[in-house]
Amino acid sequence: MEINEIKTDQCVIIGITGRLDTTNYSVLEKKIMELIDNNSTKILVECSKMDYISSSGLRILLMGLKKITLMKGKFALCGLQENISEIFEISGFTSIFDIHASTEDALKVF
Amino acid sequence: MRFRFPRITFFRGLAFRYSIFFLIAIVMILFVPLVIGYGSASVLLFIKAQKEATILTEQTVARFKNVLQPTELVPQTLVQAMENPNINAGEVLRIARDFVRHDTVVFGTCLAFEPYLGGKDSYWYAPYAFEKHGRLTTRILGSSDYDYFKMDWYRLPKLLNMPVWTEPYYDAGGGDTLMCTYSTPVYRNVGGKRIFTGVLTMDVSLSSFSRMVKSVNIFKTGYGVLISRQGKIIASPRPVMNNQNILDITRVGKGKLTQLAVRGMMAGKSGFSSMDGLEAKKFPSFLSYAPVGKTGWSFGILFPEEELYDDMYKFLKVMSWMFGISIFILLITTILITRKMTRPIVRLVEATHKIGQGDFNAKLPVRKSKDEVAQLTRAFGVMQDELRNYIHHLEVTTTEKEKIESELKVAHNIQMGMLPRGFSTPDNWDLFATLDPAKAVGGDLYDFFYLDADHLCIAIGDVAGKGVPASLFMMVTRTLLRAKAVAGTPINLVMQSINHELCQDNPSQMFVTFFAGIVDLKTGEMEFCNAGHNYPYVLGSGEQIRQLKVRNGLPFGIYDTADYTSSKFSFNPGEILVLTTDGITDALNITNDFFGEAKLAASLTALASKNTRALTELLIGELKRFSSGAEQADDITILALQYKTAAGAMPPPAQTVQLTLLNQVSELDKLAARIEELSGTWNIPPKTGMEVNLVLEELFTNVVFYAFDDQHEHTIIIDFVLTDVHQLLIRLEDDGKPFNLLETKVDDVIDKPLEERQIGGLGVHFVRKMMDSVEYRRDGDKNIVTLTKNF
Repeated sequence: MEINEIKTDQCVIIGITGRLDTTNYSVLEKKIMELIDNNSTKILVECSKMDYISSSGLRILLMGLKKITLMKGKFALCGLQENISEIFEISGFTSIFDIHASTEDALKVF
Repeated sequence: MRFRFPRITFFRGLAFRYSIFFLIAIVMILFVPLVIGYGSASVLLFIKAQKEATILTEQTVARFKNVLQPTELVPQTLVQAMENPNINAGEVLRIARDFVRHDTVVFGTCLAFEPYLGGKDSYWYAPYAFEKHGRLTTRILGSSDYDYFKMDWYRLPKLLNMPVWTEPYYDAGGGDTLMCTYSTPVYRNVGGKRIFTGVLTMDVSLSSFSRMVKSVNIFKTGYGVLISRQGKIIASPRPVMNNQNILDITRVGKGKLTQLAVRGMMAGKSGFSSMDGLEAKKFPSFLSYAPVGKTGWSFGILFPEEELYDDMYKFLKVMSWMFGISIFILLITTILITRKMTRPIVRLVEATHKIGQGDFNAKLPVRKSKDEVAQLTRAFGVMQDELRNYIHHLEVTTTEKEKIESELKVAHNIQMGMLPRGFSTPDNWDLFATLDPAKAVGGDLYDFFYLDADHLCIAIGDVAGKGVPASLFMMVTRTLLRAKAVAGTPINLVMQSINHELCQDNPSQMFVTFFAGIVDLKTGEMEFCNAGHNYPYVLGSGEQIRQLKVRNGLPFGIYDTADYTSSKFSFNPGEILVLTTDGITDALNITNDFFGEAKLAASLTALASKNTRALTELLIGELKRFSSGAEQADDITILALQYKTAAGAMPPPAQTVQLTLLNQVSELDKLAARIEELSGTWNIPPKTGMEVNLVLEELFTNVVFYAFDDQHEHTIIIDFVLTDVHQLLIRLEDDGKPFNLLETKVDDVIDKPLEERQIGGLGVHFVRKMMDSVEYRRDGDKNIVTLTKNF
């Protein structure tokens, strides 16, 4: 898994490439905590290049959502692949997360 | 078992025993003077009684004599006077009569004449004057009925020519009373010749003696007895005895002493002796006796022996009571005192019980005095303190020991954790290694790692010594190897560098034998360096076995400038390189035989056809069987590397694939890789592959995180079976705690709002949602989950 970070005027976009699983979820966890510590409360996770996610990965996204929501910020996802969408669907996360088809769509809500 | 102190009863206690000993001593001490006192008192009493009785006897006898003296003197005077022929017999009689009238005991007098000497015409002539009813009467005695010539009072004085006292008699014709007569012979001068003329008698009434005898009192019942010469009892206060003969009384039933005393009395002697008494019954008595003048009588005083000692006995009785009471009081006092003295000891014993039962804070009795008990208590206090300190010290050291042990365990875990576990190699290579430490922390090591994609570094080493120091040295060596071995550096230079580093700071002069090789995975060439380590074995196909007997330098840690060379070895297809430490050849069995090189070579030959894991495990199994019962003396390390076939000759895809994973999260990469591989070979769609991967990751991480309480390495086996063109069967096996994922309730977790959402249970939810069937069973100590997925 690779993570890149783009800072825009509206928010911080975190792009995930590859697999987000038990072996590497901590990398993302660290990144999100870092942003929260720096008072970046507007985070968009760009998932178009993420081709695998397990419950460990989902846990980090859930954690990010909870913390940012408590800070009255904004935490959104965008560009989920079909397979990943299904996992979100099964886990019941689609109703909790603010999920957008594309980055452009997502940026409108920030 | 805990020792129970016997309960101290009163009779076994010190107080009682001391009191008894004390009392016995006191009784002994008092008894001696008491006995002596009793003895001397009885002797004194006897002497006193004897004196008293003798004096009383003599006094009484003197009284008798006083009374009788005139009775004897008056006739003697008169008789002398009568020798004078000028004196008239009538005159004599008149004087005698006056005497009778005045004397108390003499009641009659008689002047009895020889035939025809009193009057010329009379054969008998005896004028007798006697007192009767207060008047003096005169009568002339002598007739054929009363022939006084034959009577004792006349016959005896005539015969003996001297005054005589007669035996007591009852004079029927004369005085008509019980009496004794004092007869004095009368002589007259007739023509110059002294001729017996007759007798002058004095009759003495015995009733007055009786009064005198009766007035004698000694002790309680002591009494006097007056007997005549022939034993006739003249007077006594016992009416039964009067007129009896003492010989008759004492003849039957009395002892020898009595006979002797009576005979002494009758012989006119005086004395003091013990006897049986004069009554019918025997009363041990004393008799004091003395003769009464010329009368031939004997006076005795009798008194019972017991009366003599009566007062003493009374005194003794009182004394005994007092003695008894004193001893009783003494006993009670002693018991109370000793109890008071031993009470601290009893308390001490109770405190000691408590200490014995583990209560080291038990309170000891407080003693302010400085006696022995206080010293003992203080000594106990010191002992208690020391015991408490000792236990505390023991607790501390035990805790520390436990801490050290747990730290050793951690060290062991760290050491074991340093050894590589992932045996992932290209398909044409097969690698397996194991280390079995002798103690918790060992001095062996093995290692293998990739220098680059084509070069694998393998190493084995053995630090001289065991335990923590060896382990630390081993870790340093291994770290140095990892640091120095880089792609492109010849192995001998790596070794030289490691040795140099190890020699820099090696105060404990440890050393390590080491073998390292760099294998070119493409060509099967190996460049190696053996620094004093056991020669490696090479197992070829067809049970060929050989050793790489090359030495390339000294063990590490000896000379920092030591040089190392390198050698080359080329794997033939199928060959297995086996690296070992001397823990195998030096393994001992219970009869102290070594496993040895020959046995190792034989075992390896037999195992040549196995894969590296099987070979290693079977060899260790054989070693354990050999040394069963004996303690493992050294670490056992084996590293086996097999060059299976030439690179590129891949085996045909199997319909069944097994994947063995260790309980480490990092193994997930292997899982993902294997699923991707299978997706290609078995034509599994990417979505299905992802779902299988996701489900297996959830199950696998669940096992890794929750199934094991220990820190040990476990394996999780996953079997993939392509049962149909479009069905996959997956079997997952672990030896962790029982866990049935089907029993987990998860559905209600899913629909909750954000605030209540928890991630737990989501994995199991995925398993159920994404798989077509899920089964769980517990087989022995294994959890087995079977899944099917259609695609």
